[in-house]
Amino acid sequence: MTTTAMGQSEGTWSVTTRVIVYAAIGAALYALFNWLSFGIAMPGTNDVSIRPHYGLLTFFGFAFGPVVGFLTGFVGNVVGDQLTGWGAFTSWQWSVANGLAGMIAGLFPFWMASRMSSPGSKAVTAAVAGVVATVIGFLFIFVELVTQQEMGFNAILTTEYIPTVIGNSIAAAIVTPILVLAWEPLREQLGR
Amino acid sequence: MRAAFPYLGRGSWLASRDPRVLLVAAILFVIGASQLRDSRQLGVVLVLALGYYCTARIPWRAVRVQWIYLLAVISFFAFFNTLISGGRTGTFTGAETHVLFTLPPFGAEISAEGVSLMLSQVMRYAAVAAIGFPIAYAIAPGDLGVALRRLGVADKIAVMVDLTVRFIPTLAGEFAETIDAQRVRGYDPTARKGGPITRLRRLAPIFVPVTVGSIAGAEDTIDAMDLRGFGVGRRTWLRHLKFDAFDFVLLGLFVLFAIVATFLNVTGRTDHYLLPFLV
Repeated sequence: MTTTAMGQSEGTWSVTTRVIVYAAIGAALYALFNWLSFGIAMPGTNDVSIRPHYGLLTFFGFAFGPVVGFLTGFVGNVVGDQLTGWGAFTSWQWSVANGLAGMIAGLFPFWMASRMSSPGSKAVTAAVAGVVATVIGFLFIFVELVTQQEMGFNAILTTEYIPTVIGNSIAAAIVTPILVLAWEPLREQLGR
Repeated sequence: MRAAFPYLGRGSWLASRDPRVLLVAAILFVIGASQLRDSRQLGVVLVLALGYYCTARIPWRAVRVQWIYLLAVISFFAFFNTLISGGRTGTFTGAETHVLFTLPPFGAEISAEGVSLMLSQVMRYAAVAAIGFPIAYAIAPGDLGVALRRLGVADKIAVMVDLTVRFIPTLAGEFAETIDAQRVRGYDPTARKGGPITRLRRLAPIFVPVTVGSIAGAEDTIDAMDLRGFGVGRRTWLRHLKFDAFDFVLLGLFVLFAIVATFLNVTGRTDHYLLPFLV
């Protein structure tokens, strides 16, 4: 049995002990898999690579809420970049984009609660949430139009946004529902 | 499998600075460098950034691969950007370009403007990386949480970052154990058969147990923290941080850099520079 701490509310945006620990686990896993780099190249493309671990951040957002999703994506990417030696702030805009994707995935269960009556529908919603969150969240990288003025709109769109969104959407659409289906029985067992 | 921040800069001048200085310096530097476009100014900034990096005394052999990878990726993207834009972005938007040569088969133009833009982009990224590397290698991993807290980040978020750093080696161990366990059951982690979707699904026997196992294990941590009253009152930290004179000077220099870069940007004195010898 779990003891509930006094004074910690459990709203959508609350930062409780549970949120802190789940976000830390999510960020650590994301950073670790980033470091191990599981890129799967898409045949017939130059630079589209699927990163399966991307599905982790959409899963953590979907399963534990928008705060966990944002922290998993943002901190996970920052720490992962540090582990690989890329530097925490070298590509800060990508970290924010990852965070936003996790956060948006975390909002879906609240928006679509009525459509998630069975595990199957929950898995489908998780896949949709992962894809939509990726498409919207990664729009943030267009901030490079201001911070990297050498990058034109077309260059950002064709070399960064589209390849990333394709690869990450595939990962999110497959990995998120798998993890949701694996987590559901355990969640019920734990009484969450 | 060893996944942790190696404290390579231990004992160096930069590592003996207050860790908050390294974090704030990196943020101020990103703010400043993002506003500079002139490759001559960026060249000076890059030299200064490398000087700062050298004070961390990070052994070259330990980070050689990271630097090569970073420079290769940056150069690749900058080159690709040059191919796509043809040098007609930034200050050179709408300007007539000086084509140096064209690349077959599509006749992509490599122009003097494109090469100049590429140089600015690569130098900016390299300078930001030089300032960012010491965060990984010259801050004691245990100091990260308290440094964030003392910078005004909420207690809970500072603890979360601290926990993330501490969880990584543990999870790396669990990951290695899971691979070994699945291998005993006949799973081949090196299999390359099938398309990307099949290969993605084949990773489930690794991803699912590691992730779900970690979440289930997190319940003990949550219970332990709740039982100790985490989050119900103000938290104290064992480690105390204090700025010394060098810290103030260093921070002052970075603040000055951000102000100067903003001034140059606002007054239009940092347009992209067309390398004269290419025209």
